Amino acid sequence: MNEASKGVGSVVYEARGLKKNYDGGQVAALRGVDFDIREGEFVAIVGPSGCGKSTLLQMLGSLDKPSEGSLSYRGRLISDLEDPSDYRSAEIGFIFQSFHLLPTFTVSENVQIPMFETGLSRGEREVRAHELLESVGLAHRLKHFPSELSGGERQRVAIARSLANRPSVLLADEPTGNLDSENAAHVVELLLKLHRELGMTMVLVTHDLGIAALATRTIRMKDGRVVDETTPLTHAS
Amino acid sequence: MTFFTVVVRGLIRRPVRTGLTLLGISIGIGAVVTLVGMSWGYEKSIGKQLDVIGIDVVVSNMSGGLMPKVFDDTLQDKVAALPKVADTTTVLMLMLSIEDAPMMMVSGREWGGFTWEKLEVLEGRLPKDDKEFAVVLGKLAAEVLKKKVGDTVQIEADELPVVGIVDGHAVVENGAVILSLSVLQEISSNQGKVNFIDVRVPEGTSEKEVVELCETVNGMFPEGRAKLASEVVGTSQGYRLARAMSWSTSLLAIIVGVLGVMNTMLMTVFERTHEIGILLAVGWKRRRILYMVLCESALLGFLGGVTGVGLGALGLKILEYTPAIRGLLEPDLSPKLLLTSVAIAVVVGVVSGLYPGWRSSRLSPSRALNL
Repeated sequence: MNEASKGVGSVVYEARGLKKNYDGGQVAALRGVDFDIREGEFVAIVGPSGCGKSTLLQMLGSLDKPSEGSLSYRGRLISDLEDPSDYRSAEIGFIFQSFHLLPTFTVSENVQIPMFETGLSRGEREVRAHELLESVGLAHRLKHFPSELSGGERQRVAIARSLANRPSVLLADEPTGNLDSENAAHVVELLLKLHRELGMTMVLVTHDLGIAALATRTIRMKDGRVVDETTPLTHAS
Repeated sequence: MTFFTVVVRGLIRRPVRTGLTLLGISIGIGAVVTLVGMSWGYEKSIGKQLDVIGIDVVVSNMSGGLMPKVFDDTLQDKVAALPKVADTTTVLMLMLSIEDAPMMMVSGREWGGFTWEKLEVLEGRLPKDDKEFAVVLGKLAAEVLKKKVGDTVQIEADELPVVGIVDGHAVVENGAVILSLSVLQEISSNQGKVNFIDVRVPEGTSEKEVVELCETVNGMFPEGRAKLASEVVGTSQGYRLARAMSWSTSLLAIIVGVLGVMNTMLMTVFERTHEIGILLAVGWKRRRILYMVLCESALLGFLGGVTGVGLGALGLKILEYTPAIRGLLEPDLSPKLLLTSVAIAVVVGVVSGLYPGWRSSRLSPSRALNL
């Protein structure tokens, strides 16, 4: 996507009647979800466990397909994408609750993994990984393996990895869920900084209403449906 | 980090399993190298023998076993009278168990024929004439039989003195027991019979003229075949059977190798489902996942192939010195065989990785991540 096509405040995601069923329709994870997410927004999706918020996030990242309804990215149906991996590689950065780092690769190598699809040279990949890890305060941990890091450090590596291909959207699934309060605060601070400085569109799934309060908009879900959307006072204009 | 690093990490994450799979492929490829090396070695050894003696055309009846059937030696005069024939000599070659050696080449040669020319006497002498009941031993045959000049060798029911040790400048020559044709005909009850007429053509004869000569001889000797020396081994039924057996045994070894690598790669893919989910989530294309799995299995094949070639070479060296083989053939350890074997191993690897690779590339990223 080129910069001109994005426009300020243009619609990035548009979901209409989004449903997701599992086990041949026995289990309904999403029961008809409608929303828009605009360029540069920081949207928090909150709700109790099992309400469908992680399923929704996976659909935004094209990791899963809706059973019914439509979901488009910048006006194009995600289900129509010829190769969703191009979309994931170029447009999306993922951050997961359990970090999902590759245990047999060093911190630097984990950050380089997404770059294989970009055509960057080996040297360019290494330099970019170094820069990203420096930006998350882990330049001294390049050669360490994930098992040698604390939870907070692992999540910072995952954040650096999510930025590897300079995506325009960051999708975070409970990024502080496995962290103590101090590390959680650091990670949130880092995400806010990214949003503020890079102007990235950010969608964050969380249980933590304190973190949700920092978002520009909160979508509250229950039983596979959006029950309300609010703009916190801090962001209300 | 390069893509190759990713491939190598995939293999070394389970070193014991990877090692055992490598061992399996190595043994399979080792078997291929050994069996095919023996088969090719036999062909090469006979070829070298014919080359050393300077034989251009061999007339024989190759429809029998490893050694051709005997026929009347009167055919020699007819062949000798043909144009483009410079010289002929007859040979009766038998494979016999000699004392403790299970199988040796016993070569009865027409006295005065050119097959005696290239024998270099190392000890003793050659037989005095075609009537002397005596043998000379090729230097390897002397080692295998543990005989020296003055000892005797038992052939069939007769004991013949060893009058000389010779160097024939080819493994098959050096592994043979050599005596005069008439003596061998007598002790093997093959009077008037031979199984080879070796032919030399004049210098400067074209290959086309040699082929025409072969066709003329074939017209005179319908049950036999005249062959260019370079083609003679391939027409032996016994050799073709041995070659077919070596390749079919090799094929079995290859199939076992394929199953071994496929099992390993399936296990690897199954274990790494979550990891593959992560790679898909961060934007890896499905074909890159497939390529990664194929490269891993090809690398397994390549490493197994290289180790297998080493094992096979060792096996051939051991076989070369076993009494049953020594002097009969010189195993072929040509670059062609070694490269073919490694190539087979890589193909085994790639073929074995196809299904696991395809399976891994079809994984649903969300399901893989949730495992």
